[in-house]
Amino acid sequence: MGLELLFPIRPDEGSSTLRKTPRCQAAWTPQREPREARTTNSVDSDELLCPRSAAQSRRTSRERAPAAAPPTSQARGGPERAPIGCSAAALAKADIISTVEFNYNGDLLATGDKGGRVVIFQREQENKSRPHTRGEYNVYSTFQSHEPEFDYLKSLEIEEKINKIKWLPQQNAAHFLLSTNDKTIKLWKISERDKRAEGYNLKDEDGRLRDPFRITALRVPILKPMDLMVEASPRRIFANAHTYHINSISVNSDHETYLSADDLRINLWHLEITGRSFNIVDIKPANMEELTEVITASEFHPHHCNVFVYSSSRGSVRLCDMRAAALCDQHAKLFEEPEDPSSRSFFSEIISSISDVSFSHSGRYMMTRDYLSVKVWDLHMESRPVETYQVHEYLRGKLCSLYENDCIFDKFECCWSGDDSAIMTGSYNNFFRMFERTTLRDVTLEASRENSKPRALLKPRKVCTGGKRKRDEISVDSLDFSSKILHTSWHPADDIVAVAATNNLYIFQDKVH
Amino acid sequence: MGGLKRKHPDLEEEEEEEAWGWGPAGPRSYQQALLRISLDKVQHSPGPRAPSLRRHVLIHNTLQQLQAALRLTPAPALPPEPLFLGEEDFSLSATIGSILRELETSMDEAECPPSPVVLPGPQAESLPQADPVFLESLSSRYLGDSNNSGLDDFFPDIDTSAVEKEPLVAPPEAPHNLFCAPGSWEWNELDHIMEIILGS
Repeated sequence: MGLELLFPIRPDEGSSTLRKTPRCQAAWTPQREPREARTTNSVDSDELLCPRSAAQSRRTSRERAPAAAPPTSQARGGPERAPIGCSAAALAKADIISTVEFNYNGDLLATGDKGGRVVIFQREQENKSRPHTRGEYNVYSTFQSHEPEFDYLKSLEIEEKINKIKWLPQQNAAHFLLSTNDKTIKLWKISERDKRAEGYNLKDEDGRLRDPFRITALRVPILKPMDLMVEASPRRIFANAHTYHINSISVNSDHETYLSADDLRINLWHLEITGRSFNIVDIKPANMEELTEVITASEFHPHHCNVFVYSSSRGSVRLCDMRAAALCDQHAKLFEEPEDPSSRSFFSEIISSISDVSFSHSGRYMMTRDYLSVKVWDLHMESRPVETYQVHEYLRGKLCSLYENDCIFDKFECCWSGDDSAIMTGSYNNFFRMFERTTLRDVTLEASRENSKPRALLKPRKVCTGGKRKRDEISVDSLDFSSKILHTSWHPADDIVAVAATNNLYIFQDKVH
Repeated sequence: MGGLKRKHPDLEEEEEEEAWGWGPAGPRSYQQALLRISLDKVQHSPGPRAPSLRRHVLIHNTLQQLQAALRLTPAPALPPEPLFLGEEDFSLSATIGSILRELETSMDEAECPPSPVVLPGPQAESLPQADPVFLESLSSRYLGDSNNSGLDDFFPDIDTSAVEKEPLVAPPEAPHNLFCAPGSWEWNELDHIMEIILGS
């Protein structure tokens, strides 16, 4: 398959950080405001406006330098304050993308970052006069989802980093998504406003209240069009249910409930009820000294609303049926591949730790990602996976160094294509891998600005594992382990993929289209 | 994630001469190096942000395996300590403290070829635009110094009182066969390192 870069979004902050820009300004480099200058809390819905027309006018300036766009109409907060004492590094670190997720029809793409911010991109509609814009994603909405908190009892900071975003199926004109950090899940409503009411009776055009005694006639307010505004408002806050760090959320197929999983427990929520959740899995031992295994990921089955799976740090996946018991500590199925004794090492357990689990769209298969490979399992067969794909086997001889620099603990995600015929996962050096399940072809591609020009076809990469290095190959020792692709998402219908490389987002599509 | 690691200049030559066995049946120095790395990871303060429980559990399990491989006796059970994550009954650190104690005992029995003690490298915070991180062979500061300094010389300022309930072998008092004779080559190296640690 040939992949071309649609356009790079969010180029590196690089050297351009200290320039102060209001939020939602540049479509392509949403510069982060330093924390001192940011207006207060994010709960107020009026605060988070991203004028659509401004975004449209900037569509042409897609390159690196943020254009000097007109200031956005920020509803609150007054004038911008200059960044004080903010280093380039601090600003850049907050922009590291921590999750990427397409919505159910692929028209929206949400990203969350380490600074607690969510940026949503929307796919351009078809426009006959500008056919080349079809399929491009522009910034639709930006809002601050989570703020850093401090737990005074334990003297610990609670990171604002967005661990996961999951979209709800669309039921009306508004869009809903769940976003979570380590401790709190929030339900956000993203809605458009393109009309404004004029001609109120009780207040005049400036908003000042009119004296009711002076009103002699009544009129019906008229709806007038206005520049499109996208508002994000928090609708529910699901807090105080997790002692440990939340690693997964998953919306149930009944569209009424969802689960949230931390290291030791999984809770079931109703989307309407924030004051209470049900604990459905608890693997915390009575004596914490006996703790040897934690939950690493969890997901609901796409069709059976009573079935979910959770993966562990010891390389196993448990499938549970909520009809069997209120507390699903007893699994219905246990998926575990026996260890290969010939490749046993001190790191066997660490590399078997599953970092992501994902059901296929069909619901028949499940995919797990461990450190070196991706495995596809048939839900009817627990003893071993039906397919195994090596992501970067050349790292097996380097596990000691990777343990030393902590890279061995990196959690890579994996995803299915819309028709389940292909799977994708990330690697180091900004490489990502795609595997076609039917033809067994695979490819390694790189997400980096130097190697990706818009509309240019991506060149397959190859890692040299030993012996003579061919031209265009890269040797294992030259790989950059600080540039890793942990988060990817595949469009639910088309061959479009979103890849997060540190603080850059790349969207690639199949050239055939 | 650590930044680039600096190698002690004297060691680079030596490293090339020695052959490393990477498998589980590899030389004792490799296992001890892994043990040191693991303990180093555990001992480093997690900072204001709560550390990852998954990472901690995986390191702990690896330590258990290393312990078994080095044939250490099982640690005596300790009462739980409120420490990690502030959880009341989280006592992983207590178990690791017991492993530390066992390690000190095992150092007496370990075969130790004399080699220079290395300088601890800088612990740099890595940033997104930081220098790229490349794989190097196992950082030399974990290798080959098992007879001279013991672990405690690496962490002279670490307060282990939280994990050590009983007054066991305190850091300054090394068992006598780990003691370096004053005026010896090892002594001078240790002196040099102490200067640097205290001076920084």
